[in-house]
Amino acid sequence: MNSEYKQVKRMTTTGRIIHWANAISMVVAIITGLYIGHPYYQTFIADGAVDKYVMAWNRWGHFIVAIIFDVTSVVIAYLFFFSRFEKAYKKVIPTGKNIAQFIEVIINLATLNRRKKFDSTHSDSFNSVYFLIFHLLLAWMLLTGLQLYVSGLESGLSSIGKWWPWMLHISTDWTRGVCGGTIMDVRIVHHYTMWYIITWVVFHIYYQVWRTIFWKEADIAIVFGGSKFVKEK
Amino acid sequence: MSDRIEGVKKLFTSKSARVETNKGESYYLDLFEKCQTRLSELRASQPANRLDFSGLLNDNGIDRRDFMKWVSATTAMLMLPPMFSPLVAEAAELMNRAPVIWLELQDCAGNSEALLRSDGPKIDEIVLDIISLEYHETLQAASGFQAEKQLDEAIETFKGKFLLFVEGSIPMGMNGQYGTIGASGETFHDHLMRVSKDAAAVIAVGACATFGGIPAAAPNPTGAVGVMDVVKGKPLVNIPACPANPVNMVGVVMHYVLTGQLPELDSLLRPKFAFGYRIHDNCERRAHFDAGEYVEEWGDEGAKNNFCLYKMGCKGPMTFNNCSIVRYNEAVNWPIGVGRGCIGCSEPDFWDKYAYERPMANAKIKAPTGGVEKTVDEFGLGLLTAAGIGIGIHAIASAVGGKKDDGGEA
Ligand code: HEM
Ligand code: SF4
Repeated sequence: MNSEYKQVKRMTTTGRIIHWANAISMVVAIITGLYIGHPYYQTFIADGAVDKYVMAWNRWGHFIVAIIFDVTSVVIAYLFFFSRFEKAYKKVIPTGKNIAQFIEVIINLATLNRRKKFDSTHSDSFNSVYFLIFHLLLAWMLLTGLQLYVSGLESGLSSIGKWWPWMLHISTDWTRGVCGGTIMDVRIVHHYTMWYIITWVVFHIYYQVWRTIFWKEADIAIVFGGSKFVKEK
Repeated sequence: MSDRIEGVKKLFTSKSARVETNKGESYYLDLFEKCQTRLSELRASQPANRLDFSGLLNDNGIDRRDFMKWVSATTAMLMLPPMFSPLVAEAAELMNRAPVIWLELQDCAGNSEALLRSDGPKIDEIVLDIISLEYHETLQAASGFQAEKQLDEAIETFKGKFLLFVEGSIPMGMNGQYGTIGASGETFHDHLMRVSKDAAAVIAVGACATFGGIPAAAPNPTGAVGVMDVVKGKPLVNIPACPANPVNMVGVVMHYVLTGQLPELDSLLRPKFAFGYRIHDNCERRAHFDAGEYVEEWGDEGAKNNFCLYKMGCKGPMTFNNCSIVRYNEAVNWPIGVGRGCIGCSEPDFWDKYAYERPMANAKIKAPTGGVEKTVDEFGLGLLTAAGIGIGIHAIASAVGGKKDDGGEA
């Protein structure tokens, strides 16, 4: 290996676990979510209803990944501010330095890497903002999803206690007003947001691969091994 | 600490759909006494008409036993413990002490029809028959100046005491000129404001009076709105649905006669005893929903076997109403029972947002970008295609003219 390259640690093990848990959960959420919205395969008519539970399993799967999203979101929100490794929020505050870097990264992308005037050793402010957008979309999915979910707990009871629907009402009832007033609007918005997230993912994957090919710094390895490699200056 | 928690809890949940079905013994004992006092006062007061309730029951072939069954059901519906049954029975007989004025605005009179057109009136309808209907725009014999005089008299006599039922939306466009009434051509808006001023409480019945309903559906040519959008500072109850279920109208009037108060309401001012339930959670087809067994087409095998109507556009999962429990026409049947999906008629904007008879995911709705109406997935795929084209162009350009850092000096 070329000795002029140095290894830079970019993602902790926790970070990588969260990344892949999210990626897999996302695929499951989309598959089950689309089934819930419009059951697109049929079940065997000959079976008794108690045996198959197809919709119920899909909803179960959807809610399990929702819980995974719930928990990882809390962890990520915490790490965003308090991580000892890399405090991501510092990169999204619109300081002069961050804005300049943000623009440089876009120029780099637009000039097909003919101009690269920023330090790509550490997470740059463009990526940080882009990831923040993802987390906001995901949080929005959580809030709208939980609002849909709590409408099925209208008795105010739940197997884990009354505090649960109570808390969900406090934290998500406002989404109804924001989405357009009815629970149906929340559902429509929940479904639209899925497409924003998918579009986000498509560009995200493309961009990481593109960086890997054109920057030649093994960016894609960050999410597997935790490190990338940059030339010694 | 615990009362602070209670306080916060109250602050945030008072308007949610949550239903407290058991408020504790001391609460009910207290309420029982209050109701007793109120009923004896009512009994002492002059009945507004001489209709005799038990006579009417007899004439319609309803015996005491049927009546008592109805009493227990109504007591339960109002979420009162069984000891209230005798009071509910008494209140039913005293219904003719509750003066009611009924306004008919921009609508199809479907709620009046729901009350009146049942073949062989059931107890709910009879109870509504004997309420002292001082003025009902569709039913009264009087017309023109005579009718107006009658209204003025009713308002005068029962000032601050009558319940005002409103059916139909209020057209606000063109200064309200889309709907006028009476010999002087008063607009619906002015008419409603004038009468509601002296009402004890206003009860909006049906989808139109509550949330604007079908007249308010896009593009809402008359600028129709619901009663709660114009009447402010009055106790107001919404009893939505198309038509409102007479059971729920009786419930509200009964609650009022019994306790002198309006029932507990949710954030849309709907009584919780009726609208604290989600259709989907009490639907007899729910097992088929969970199993993934759906009617795919009208009249198919699934339809013959009472499969779930979700794929035919049932909106039970997003609709709050008690018709999956009390049904219509004295529990004879209800929309999903007859094999068609729920169209969400008790929810705001139901005509635009619920009633398209296909799952939301398949419905052509306004996209966030405007333009032609499309399904959410068509919009999403369009978005994805646009992103894909952008990425494709960038990828090809990069492959052809991009600069690779290490060694790839171009
Ligand atoms: C980010 C990943 C997610 C995606 C892609 C996703 C996607 C979807 C889609 C497409 C639907 C169907 C909407 C329709 O057309 O009717 C749906 C329904 C739903 N989602 Fe999600 N969702 C996600 C996350 C969540 C989360 C975090 C929750 C939280 C509990 C949640 C709860 C729900 C609920 C309750 C429904 C309605 C299910 C029902 O009423 O049976 N979703 N989701
Ligand atoms: S018919 Fe409608 S309310 Fe009943 S289970 Fe199916 S979706 Fe739910």
